[in-house]
Amino acid sequence: MTAAETAAPGRLLTQVAGERQTGVLVVGGHPGGAVYVLEGRVIYAESPAAPGVGELLTASGRLAGRTWQNALDLGTSTARVGRLLVEQGHLTQGELELCVLGAIYDAAYFVLSPASAPVDFLIGATHWLGPIVHVDPAALRREVTRRIRLLDEIFPDARVDTAAVAAVPRPPRERITLTAPQWELLVNADGQRTPADLALLLGRAGYATIQELRRMAAMGLLELPEVRSENPEFVRLPQARGAAADVQRPVPVVAAARATAAVPPPDPAPDPPRHLLVEPVEPAPSVEIAGANQAVYRPPRLARRKPGAKLPKEVAGEPPPAHQGTDEVLLKRIRTALRALR
Amino acid sequence: MPGVDHCLQEAMAIPGAVGASIVDYTTGFPVATTGAAPNADHEAAAAGTADVVQAANSRSLFVSALPHDLLEDLIITTAGGYHLLRMVQTDFDSRLVLYVWLDRVMGNLAVARRRMQKLADELVAS
Repeated sequence: MTAAETAAPGRLLTQVAGERQTGVLVVGGHPGGAVYVLEGRVIYAESPAAPGVGELLTASGRLAGRTWQNALDLGTSTARVGRLLVEQGHLTQGELELCVLGAIYDAAYFVLSPASAPVDFLIGATHWLGPIVHVDPAALRREVTRRIRLLDEIFPDARVDTAAVAAVPRPPRERITLTAPQWELLVNADGQRTPADLALLLGRAGYATIQELRRMAAMGLLELPEVRSENPEFVRLPQARGAAADVQRPVPVVAAARATAAVPPPDPAPDPPRHLLVEPVEPAPSVEIAGANQAVYRPPRLARRKPGAKLPKEVAGEPPPAHQGTDEVLLKRIRTALRALR
Repeated sequence: MPGVDHCLQEAMAIPGAVGASIVDYTTGFPVATTGAAPNADHEAAAAGTADVVQAANSRSLFVSALPHDLLEDLIITTAGGYHLLRMVQTDFDSRLVLYVWLDRVMGNLAVARRRMQKLADELVAS
């Protein structure tokens, strides 16, 4: 067992794979996660930002929660949960393999994309699912790099990936076309759920969720959180050239900066000015809160009251409503993790 | 119990099959490959496959012509071959397509299409 150190997760993965080791590469930071290696080949990867095999199978209704839990209870200690599900006839081998492959590549994007993070390699650890597929670590790293590039080609703004998702109150065009997954995301985005929350809630791959969110951000359908972070590159405002530059509308400018954007040059007149720069009255959730932890509870904003007015009885007495879907998913994950420890 | 590798083996047994792969069409990544690929590059072929599927699925209106319509397969014919893309419908969230490259002379389009339908169904149904 090595001490936790800060390094590039991808490089360490290549190193342990080269030595044909068995164990788990644990990556800290946000979102962090783990990559399980068996004799130099990747057999599983997981990250809090990506739904695991269990979440994918149960959230979609493919497996009843009870069936999955039974398989966990029976197979966790012997690391053959996956094989049990196939042997008991709940899944076909093909389904299981495809699901695990999808989960590995999905989680690997979140685990391996940071250039540097606290990493640790625990020799000998195995995953309770058991070896279902074997993925070449080099191919995995290549794919992660490609996925990062794909996202930036869609919309080069990484704030979309972690901040709470909120739709713009008024679409920027008269007519917009959404795909089914985009609709699902918009309907479930309540201004508090992060992309990771949405992925878990809907049982959709974390990367695919981010991909759709970036597409919608490129269309100007999402509120971009106002962030004054140490990364000034996120807000690419044009150089102000006299009064002609429309500095009040940064989003279409970013979109237009992409070479592929086919949108006509934005006409400033009919669009209402965005809140982004004009009136920073409502403090947007800071980066730390938004990205740090999905469990952080943000109380819903109350309707504005007159100064001195009392809260309505039903609101004042009750504790603030908890976030049903997110909490449920979180509790399920905690339960799964606790059972895995037994 | 047929797994992914077995499915690809069966795909290669289709008369005239030159290469086969299973591609994640949101990212254009070949999840599994076997045999030859156009220009000997499975990853580039997968990226192209993904573009084609995306174009048919979201950027054109074929699939939304009728309510609850569904893209089943895409067939691209070239002078030298047939390229068949068959959607793999899983219950859980995945966006996968089975791709088979057929030799134009050796391959039989109707037979291949039927076989691929069966393969894609067997892969995910018990």
